Amino acid sequence: MAHLVGVVAVLSLPNPRPAFAVALAAPLASAVWAASRLGGGETDTARLDWVEGLDLAVSFRVGPLGALLAVLVSGIGVLIFVYGHGYFGGGDRRGFAATLLAFSGSMLGLVWADDVWTLFLFWEATSVTSFLLVGTKSTDSAAVTAARRALLVTVAGGLVLLAGLLVLVDVAGTATLSEMGPVTGDQATVAAVLILVGAFTKSAQLPFHVWLPGAMAAPTPVSAYLHSATMVKAGIVLIGLMHPVLGAVDIWSGLGVTVGLLTMFWGAIGALRHADAKLVLAWGTVSQLGLMTAMMSLGSGKAIFAAVSLVVAHAVFKAALFMAVGEIDIRTGSRDLRSLSGLRTSMPVAFWVMVFAGLSMAGVPPLLGFPAKEAAIEASLKESGASGDLILAGVTIGSVLTVAYTTRLVLALFSDKGGEPTEVAPFRWAAAAPSVLLSALGVVGYVLAPSVTDWVVPAAATLETTSTGYALLRWPGLDSTAFWISMGIVAGGAIIGAAAARHSSPPEPVGANNVDRLVDRTLDLAKWTTGRVQHGSLPIYLVVMALVASLAVIPFLGSIDAGQLHAWDRPLQAGMGTAVVAAAIAVAAIRSRIGAALALGVVGLGVSALFLIQGAPDLALTQLLVETVIVVGFVIGLGGLTTQFPANGFVWRSVRIGTAVLAGTAVTVALLASAEDTPSNRESLTAAAVDEGGGNNLVNVILTDLRALDTLGEVVVLVVAAMGVLALSRADTARGGGAPLSDDVRKVRR
Amino acid sequence: MIRGRSPVVRSAIRAASPLALLVAAFLFFAGHNQPGGGFAAGLVIGAVVALRTVAGIGRPQDATRWFAIGTALVSVVALAPLLGGEPLLDQVIVSETVPLLGKVKSGSALVFDAGVTAIVVGLFVAVFDGLDADELGRDEVQV
Repeated sequence: MAHLVGVVAVLSLPNPRPAFAVALAAPLASAVWAASRLGGGETDTARLDWVEGLDLAVSFRVGPLGALLAVLVSGIGVLIFVYGHGYFGGGDRRGFAATLLAFSGSMLGLVWADDVWTLFLFWEATSVTSFLLVGTKSTDSAAVTAARRALLVTVAGGLVLLAGLLVLVDVAGTATLSEMGPVTGDQATVAAVLILVGAFTKSAQLPFHVWLPGAMAAPTPVSAYLHSATMVKAGIVLIGLMHPVLGAVDIWSGLGVTVGLLTMFWGAIGALRHADAKLVLAWGTVSQLGLMTAMMSLGSGKAIFAAVSLVVAHAVFKAALFMAVGEIDIRTGSRDLRSLSGLRTSMPVAFWVMVFAGLSMAGVPPLLGFPAKEAAIEASLKESGASGDLILAGVTIGSVLTVAYTTRLVLALFSDKGGEPTEVAPFRWAAAAPSVLLSALGVVGYVLAPSVTDWVVPAAATLETTSTGYALLRWPGLDSTAFWISMGIVAGGAIIGAAAARHSSPPEPVGANNVDRLVDRTLDLAKWTTGRVQHGSLPIYLVVMALVASLAVIPFLGSIDAGQLHAWDRPLQAGMGTAVVAAAIAVAAIRSRIGAALALGVVGLGVSALFLIQGAPDLALTQLLVETVIVVGFVIGLGGLTTQFPANGFVWRSVRIGTAVLAGTAVTVALLASAEDTPSNRESLTAAAVDEGGGNNLVNVILTDLRALDTLGEVVVLVVAAMGVLALSRADTARGGGAPLSDDVRKVRR
Repeated sequence: MIRGRSPVVRSAIRAASPLALLVAAFLFFAGHNQPGGGFAAGLVIGAVVALRTVAGIGRPQDATRWFAIGTALVSVVALAPLLGGEPLLDQVIVSETVPLLGKVKSGSALVFDAGVTAIVVGLFVAVFDGLDADELGRDEVQV
């Protein structure tokens, strides 16, 4: 809520300068609030029932996990706003700050949601806002393509997730997360797979990881935020939230762990291959997310504990790394590992930030990444049997590669390449301070590991009750197997990394283009279909629509009660009816356009009179007014036309007559089928109208009060449709014609 | 297309517009207890818009604004009760004694109806915008 106010406030700022300062107020407030709850056991809930019958509600629940994640989302958010101020320097960034704030708010909503629909809503909100953020440089075609790719992958995943949630709600019997019990069975398996796929898309798991490296086209503050604490963690959080419900499904941990470990491996390989520092970090993020996914879906108490610890540690060090690379980028104009030289002396702050954050990523003491990585290795050690060995092997290999690409990144980025040192622009505090703070937090987090444990344990315990009793150990001791594995990983990785740094190969294009190709094909197909279906002939449209609508009444053929049919109530109706029918025939027979229009007017007025006789003055009035307007419309339209209808060929004429007869029959059938002799709820409605609506005109009270929700829906649909038409016709005018609408207008004018 | 637009038609439409708007206002307020209502009022105003377009007299231009006003009114009436803990679209009925008119009873449905009116009018404006109706009504367009 505070974020919404913030977005409006930022957008309405008269002066662009303080945009970031104003924007950080909301995340600062929520970070402080959430931090005050860390370690405490209390849970706050807020619930707003919307449609109780459908179990639709907006519902939030902030427990230990919600508080921990909120501290990450909002705390790093605050630093990002500070960093953004330094990164962009000057310029009007109100829109950017507002979008970032909206994204941050969506992310908070996501981690606090206690209702699957609320969760889904915010899930999609993060997709849309991140699309805007990635595409910030809207003039850069690479950025636009990357943003489109990210949007399509995550939104497609969102749809899969929606399907999964629907199945889940059906099998669990409730939409409230905290009320769901464990479920199993075929339906639960379907839900599990669908939800996992949704989570994979968001958290960039194989094979949906393609969007993440491309998203590096975004400004670095966006990357630092999206790919450390927020967007990509949404999938991990989702897997965690679903663990108590779906964790018992057979396929859950198998699928999650397999995909997670493969992603960890593939991401690390990608990170080793690239020469763009930011892309190295992006692929490193993919790899780290793989480890987190594997741990979260492994589902043992220790594994969940490890996953939550990794989420915390990763958010802190990855944000720092991105910020440092962004600082190098804006001060040197390059992120290329092969050309940057002499940065160690010219940019000492960035160097030390990278070293500390990098060591944390590699899992080296004394940094927070170490105990978190230890927890992951111990969780793998605890798994028994062949699958346990495989998991341990996967985590180990992945970690070795992680150390390797981290080493390579730091060594290559800061080595002297010979020749002139790269020129460096002046130092900016706002761009450096947040990353210094975050990398320092890596050390502080290690020193205060017991406190961090106190925050992580209750958070993990809300997902898996057996997560209590574990701790982030600063020094596991020399007799710990995990410790020696860890040391081996660091040593092995460092050697590989140092070797890779020396032989920096040119970047190979890693095929992320498949998604783009798919998108282009889809667009081509759409163009082709549109060309076939939308040929721009209004008569054909009308014929098709009338035919299809006629088919719709077939099911109602059986519900006509012939017994209650009678010719008329009053003789006047018979007379009026005859006049209407005669006029209708005249419309079809008259060759003159204006004559047909007048005859059509007679039909309308006659129907209006019939309504009046039947005792429906409201309907009659409306019909009368509509007829009046139609006459004016004809006056406008007919002026540009020939006075006679053009002659038609026999076939076309027959088709049209046939369609008209069919449509007429269909409407008659529909009316007969829906007619009731005695309106069933007339008395109750009349009473309600006077009591609740305070009016005597039953029809209008129904429209504006008793059934106002229907009216609301109708007018909104009307507005949306009209705005769409308006936009289309304007786009056409702006482009100078050529679209179907104006073709028609032109044809008609001729 | 309406070549050599008749000054009689023009003046007549010009003179009739305020009267028609008065009728619209009457229908709007009558709607609660008698035939009429927001939709009917919108249609009458729409007809005025149409006639003025035909006659080439000024008419409301910005359909988007009508839509915005209408949607805002409708949504406010729909959502406001939620803040007070009442169900969506719950009506508030006010009864006041006003000088000249006597006892007037009305409710938030009236505001809702006003939103409907605005949207209907917007629809007309949009149709004429979309059809380039101003151009159709302009003299120099030869057909």
